[in-house]
Amino acid sequence: MSIAEERLLAFAEEKLVTVPFDVYRYDPARGGQPRYQHYELRLAPHTPVLTGLLRIRDEIDPTLALRYSCRSAICGSCAMLVNSKSRLACKTPVGPEVKEHGRIVIDPMRNQPILRDLVVDQQPFWNRYEQMEPHLILDPKRPMPKDGPTRMSPTEVERFKETPRCISCAACYSACPAVEADPEFPGPMALAKLYRFVVDPRDGATQARLQKIQTNGLWLCLRCHLCTEACPKEVRPSERIRDLKELAVEAQGGTEPGSRHAIGFLKNIESAGTLNELKLVRQTSGLGGLVAALPQGVRMWRKKPEITKSPHPIEGIDEVKKIYEALDGKKKGKE
Amino acid sequence: MKLAYYPGCVAQESGKELDMATRWVCRALGIELVGFPSFSCCGSGFMDEANEVLNVALNARNLAIAEKAGLDLLTICSTCQGMLSLANVRLNDPTVKGRVDAALKPLGIEYRGTAKVKHLLRVLTEDVGLDAIKAKVVRPLSGLKVGAFYGCHLLRPADEMNWESGEEPHAFEDLLAAVGATPVYYRGRVMCCGFPIQFVKPATAERISARQIDDAKAHGADAMATPCPLCHISLDGYQNQAAKAAGHRLDMPVFHLPQVVGLALGATAEELGLPRHMVPTDGALAKIGSKAVA
Repeated sequence: MSIAEERLLAFAEEKLVTVPFDVYRYDPARGGQPRYQHYELRLAPHTPVLTGLLRIRDEIDPTLALRYSCRSAICGSCAMLVNSKSRLACKTPVGPEVKEHGRIVIDPMRNQPILRDLVVDQQPFWNRYEQMEPHLILDPKRPMPKDGPTRMSPTEVERFKETPRCISCAACYSACPAVEADPEFPGPMALAKLYRFVVDPRDGATQARLQKIQTNGLWLCLRCHLCTEACPKEVRPSERIRDLKELAVEAQGGTEPGSRHAIGFLKNIESAGTLNELKLVRQTSGLGGLVAALPQGVRMWRKKPEITKSPHPIEGIDEVKKIYEALDGKKKGKE
Repeated sequence: MKLAYYPGCVAQESGKELDMATRWVCRALGIELVGFPSFSCCGSGFMDEANEVLNVALNARNLAIAEKAGLDLLTICSTCQGMLSLANVRLNDPTVKGRVDAALKPLGIEYRGTAKVKHLLRVLTEDVGLDAIKAKVVRPLSGLKVGAFYGCHLLRPADEMNWESGEEPHAFEDLLAAVGATPVYYRGRVMCCGFPIQFVKPATAERISARQIDDAKAHGADAMATPCPLCHISLDGYQNQAAKAAGHRLDMPVFHLPQVVGLALGATAEELGLPRHMVPTDGALAKIGSKAVA
C-alpha cells in the first residue's frame, strides 16, 4: 500500500467529532458591534478549518464573508486567526485545535483594517511590500543574455532558497508585534522578499537597497520569531531579516542606532568577555545618548549600583580575543 | 543533580537578584551549581546580527567548557537559552562548523556537540518535577494571580528550541499552579517585551512593553513573572517609561521566575533580592501574607 493510500485509509477510519466554532462577525455597512457567532459541525479531525468554514457558509449561513481560493496552501488567500494564531485556514486541521482549546475561535488577521467578517483590507500590507521595490534591478555588469536565460550557480541560488516559497499570505504580518507597534516597520514578508533581491547575484542595487532599509525600519525587527511560527511555507522570515541585518552591518554598519547597537555589542564583549552595560549605552547612543539616559540611569543605580561597575575580564579572555581575531577579520563599521 | 551554571551577564550585574534567587531555590531543591569563571557572554541576539559565525564560535567555546566537565548547562535567561541552543543548531551546518572548528582548534578547544542547554524553567518542571516542588511548598501563593511572561528566545523558533509550543506553551503556568498561584492566560505572555529595540527606538519599545503589561492586567494579573532578565529590565526597570508611553499608570510588580518559586518555598523577600526591583512588590507580597519589603 502506498503512503497516500495508507493516509486515505486512516482518514476514512477517523471518527467524526463535534467541532464548536466561534466565528468573528462584523459588517460595518450594517453598523453595530463585532460579535462571535457560534456554529457546530461534525467533522473528521483532519478536516481543514477552511473546509469547516465553507460548510458553515454553504449549509448554515450564506452571509459569512471570507477570502479563499485554492484550498491547497498555494494561493495565500485564507490567512486568519485560528485560536489566536495566524494561520492558513486550509492548512490547519480542526482536530488538534479542538483537543487543545475545546473549540475553534476564528478571527480576521491582525494589523489590517477589517472590511467584513474575516475579510481584511490588505492594501497597507501590499504598500509596504511595494516600497521594497520587489523586482530585479539588473546589474549592468551582468546583463541578461539575449539568446537565453541568465544563469545562477547552485551556490548562488542556495542563498535564497527559502524566500521564493513565500505566497504573500500575510500571516507573518498579522503575527508581528513590531508591525502592531510601529508604522515604520515594513513587516516580515517585505523584508524577507527584500533579502531575496539583496542576495540575488543578478541584482545591481544591493548597496542602495541596504542603505535605504538601514534607516527605514530594518532594525525595528524584534527577532521574536513569531513570524517564523506563523509562516505556512517555512520562509522563516525572522532568519532572513537576521541575514539582512548582517549584510547591512557588513556593507555600511554604524550609520544608525540599530547597527551601532549590534556592532557596539560585538566590540563590548571583546574586551572582557562579558557585558559592560554602561559602555554599551555610549557605544549605541553616543555621549549625547548617555547624558539623555542619565536620569533613568541614576534611578536604577540607586537600587542596582552594579550598573556603573566595569566587569572583570573572564578567565580565558585571551581565547575570546583569539576567536575574534580569527573570525572578525573585517573590522566592521566605525566605532 | 549537578549542572554547569551559566548565569549570563545581566544576572551578574543589574539583575543580581535573579542570581540570588536562583542560588536560593537550587539550594532548597538540591541542585548543585558548578560555576565556570571562563564562560563568556552569549551575544544576546545582538552579536548574532553583526557576525553570526563569531557568535556561534564563542558559544561553542562555552558549550565545550561544560562538555569537558561532563555537565549540562543551566541557563536562567531566555536569551542565553536561545543563543546557546542556536549555536548547537547552527553547528549542524558544515560550513559554519568548519569555520568555527578552524578558529577553536589552534586554542586546543574541541566541541563534540554533546552539551545540553536547559533553562531553569525546564529543569524545574521536567527534571525536579512539579510534585517534588509541591511537596516543598511552605507558603502557597494562594490568591495571587500571576501572568507568566516567557521571553521569545526560550520558545522560538520552536522547531529549533525543541521544547514547548512556540505560541501556546504551558510549563510556566503549570509551575505557577504548583506553587499555589493562579496562572493568568493572556496573549501577551508569548510576545516580545520590547527590549531588543530599547536602544534603537525607545518609544516603540516602551509601547510594546506597556501593551503586554496592560494585557496581563486586563486579564486580572496582580503580578507578572518572567524567566528572562532582559524582559525584566523592560517590564520592571523601564516600567516608568512604559507608563509614560501608555499615558496611564501600570503599577505591575514583576518577579523573576525563581523568586516566585523561592517565595513559595519559604525564602524571605531580602534573600530573593526583591528590594532591588524598580516597581515595589509589596502589594503582591501582602496578598500572600508575606512580610512587605521596604
